[in-house]
Amino acid sequence: MTQPRHLTRRFFLQTSAVAAASAGVPAFAASPTAVNFQLSWLHSVQFGGSYIAKQRGYWSDLGLDVSLSQGGPNAPVEPPVVSGAALVGISAADYTAAAVTQGAPFKIIAVAMQKNPFAIASLAGNPVNEPADLVGKKIGMAVANTPVLQALCTLNDVDIDEIEIVPTQYDPAPLVSGQVDCLLSWATDLPVAMTVQGVDNTTMLMADYGYALHSQTYIATDDAIANRRADLVALLKGEVMGWTDYLADTDAAAVLTAEMFPDAGLDLEAQKLQAARQVPLMFTDLTEQHGFGWFTDETVAANIETLVLLGQEVSADLWDRSLLEEVHG
Amino acid sequence: MIGVNLWRKLLAAGALLLLWEGAVALSSDAVLISSPSDIAGYLSENFALIARASVETSRNAFWGFLWGNAAAIVLSATMLVLPRSERFLLALALLVFCVPLIASGPILRVLYGPGTGPQVTLAALAVYYTTLLALLVGLRAVSQNWIDLMRVYGRGPLATLMRVRARASLPYLFVGLQISAPAAFLGAMIGEFTGAERGLGVLTLRAMRGLETDATWSLALLSAAIAMTGYGALGWLGRRAVGYAPEILLSAPRQDADQTWWRSLGQTLLIVACVVAVWQLTMDAFDLNRFFAKRPGDVWGFLIVAENRDTLVAALAQTLGSALPGYLAGLSLGAGLAALLILWPGLAQATLPFAVALRAIPIITTAPLLVLGFGRGLAGTTVVVAVMIFFPTLVACQQGLRQTPGQVADLFRSYGAGRFVFLCKAQIPAMLPAFFASARMAVPAALLAVTTVEWLATGKGVGVLMATTSSTSNYNMLWSCVAALAGVAAAAYALVAALERAILRVYASEQLT
Repeated sequence: MTQPRHLTRRFFLQTSAVAAASAGVPAFAASPTAVNFQLSWLHSVQFGGSYIAKQRGYWSDLGLDVSLSQGGPNAPVEPPVVSGAALVGISAADYTAAAVTQGAPFKIIAVAMQKNPFAIASLAGNPVNEPADLVGKKIGMAVANTPVLQALCTLNDVDIDEIEIVPTQYDPAPLVSGQVDCLLSWATDLPVAMTVQGVDNTTMLMADYGYALHSQTYIATDDAIANRRADLVALLKGEVMGWTDYLADTDAAAVLTAEMFPDAGLDLEAQKLQAARQVPLMFTDLTEQHGFGWFTDETVAANIETLVLLGQEVSADLWDRSLLEEVHG
Repeated sequence: MIGVNLWRKLLAAGALLLLWEGAVALSSDAVLISSPSDIAGYLSENFALIARASVETSRNAFWGFLWGNAAAIVLSATMLVLPRSERFLLALALLVFCVPLIASGPILRVLYGPGTGPQVTLAALAVYYTTLLALLVGLRAVSQNWIDLMRVYGRGPLATLMRVRARASLPYLFVGLQISAPAAFLGAMIGEFTGAERGLGVLTLRAMRGLETDATWSLALLSAAIAMTGYGALGWLGRRAVGYAPEILLSAPRQDADQTWWRSLGQTLLIVACVVAVWQLTMDAFDLNRFFAKRPGDVWGFLIVAENRDTLVAALAQTLGSALPGYLAGLSLGAGLAALLILWPGLAQATLPFAVALRAIPIITTAPLLVLGFGRGLAGTTVVVAVMIFFPTLVACQQGLRQTPGQVADLFRSYGAGRFVFLCKAQIPAMLPAFFASARMAVPAALLAVTTVEWLATGKGVGVLMATTSSTSNYNMLWSCVAALAGVAAAAYALVAALERAILRVYASEQLT
């Protein structure tokens, strides 16, 4: 699982920095470049690899001073990235495709979640184990996500009209209180919360039923890719190193997250469970072979097919692998 | 006497807590409801975290409170000294108040970057409008005789403002400030949804998603308690600062020339043109990216496409259909409760804390509980909207009821009229200016509340169109919704104002200028 290449680079960077320091010259003549990295949600172990990269100095070794801006319900990622307030943002293939349709000059430059985290969460006593089980059930979700459910239904020959959609907020309460039979949620947050609170639940990962869509994707503007290439490559390098460490010890990543953000009110047990649950979504045979964040023409083609089901026509140009190639090259 | 009263209150509070504890123990939904002992346990275990978050949110609310109310005072003084500016400034103030968080959030975050800027701004935006409207009523709650006297002495509008109107407006200013306290707190909390690093809003969000019920309830109670403290402190300060019962005199009716329709149409068009210009120029001045900060031209280009327009109009019709019952219910509830509290002052102590609490807890916490209780249909929507707007109405109407002119009160007293007759024939007419001010205040508040319920519970209407923006980046639709809501709010405001003029001409002509 370890990738000696990065250890070598890290070793090289550290030794060269020490050598330079002992020789009385600064390791980097120029002061570190300030870079703003826009996360897609509140701080949590969801971004554990990035925190490791920051905490262990991977970015500062590469000459970057990265600030991690958290997201929130009214903090969409696209505006700060499009306006240059953030160099890189965390998005998802469908969000990025929609933004590009609306005129944003974005490219997906790396993919953290190879498998889409969307899942159908249900209580163990009334489980949804496969798409066919959705028939006759009440599902709680944001109405805006109807295309996602529609895509799942189309992929698995389920009639969406046989499912009752109940508009709810993104919160496990409607399921636990019995207002709905299941929820459309990420596999890594609401189900984890229920498990930690002692509510037995079942999750059905949509990615296991044909819903192929990159999530937690890194986006940057064409302008940044052309003019700030070195910074982007350095940022991705730090990410790869951070997430490699994350994989080696997810509990440590959870502990680090809780320590770095004492004001976030994080529950350590929930963070540990979440950290472990997102491993199979982020690390697959593909990343083992090519490295963290990788994507291929085949995975892109599968994404384009899913996007068609979501009503979005995009070409493979939405993805740009050239920066990753430099990172892993 | 006081000792007995205090004991009685403590006993009542203790009984209430025991009932609550018992109800939770018996309830089947134990995962979703917390008992007082759970809440106490959570608060003591997480004391440091909660204390830091409370200080953070309160500090932002405090600065927002100062800025917002200062802006309201400056704006209202400007309108009184330069009456020609009033219509334009009021329209602008209303429209700015109408911009929902989903549109303003990203703009504020991009403008301010990390830090507390958006939280303070949103707290200020949450308060300036109610204070402005309350102040405008107060600055006019002056007997015509005083104005005439100032004029006879050859003093200008500025002197009248400083010497006569400012004093008369004090009780109303404190009403505005009192309503502001919970509103500023709520604004600061909601402002944290734009990516703030710490505060009670961030913790609330996390607790709800994490199914941390004790945390959710503790945070809601704590927010309510802080807001109530602010409300109480300002009430105390108001009683100290005003220090006198304002002597309110009857005014002789004024003869007002009615405006011709073409003149008011011209004025309206001019205001629309000015607003559009301000919209365009502000966004240009801050060099906001067109991707998310749409200009009037973008919205026009989007809306001339019939398909887009039809979507918006259909959604707007749904939204108005659910907003109207809630609006009327909220106003009736506020005014009705104010009247009840005047008849039975003892009730005030029991109900006001709940009223303040409902105003201070974010709608994302209260709405799911209300929806759980009242369903996702019209009843649920009506209740949530009514809850969101009744509080300012209640406070303003309470103040209004106290504005009964002294001569009238004396007359009723000398005829030995009963409390109820006095209420109906003297106090309620005296309350009307304050009531109408709150009816105008409630227009944008009702629209904001209904769009939130639509997003959280009914899945229909403009609220959903706007909420979808976060995944579709369809900022054209978002800003079209903003423009449509602002237009509706302005029209509803004008309608209420017309009704108000017709009624106040009879009851409080000093309010008509």
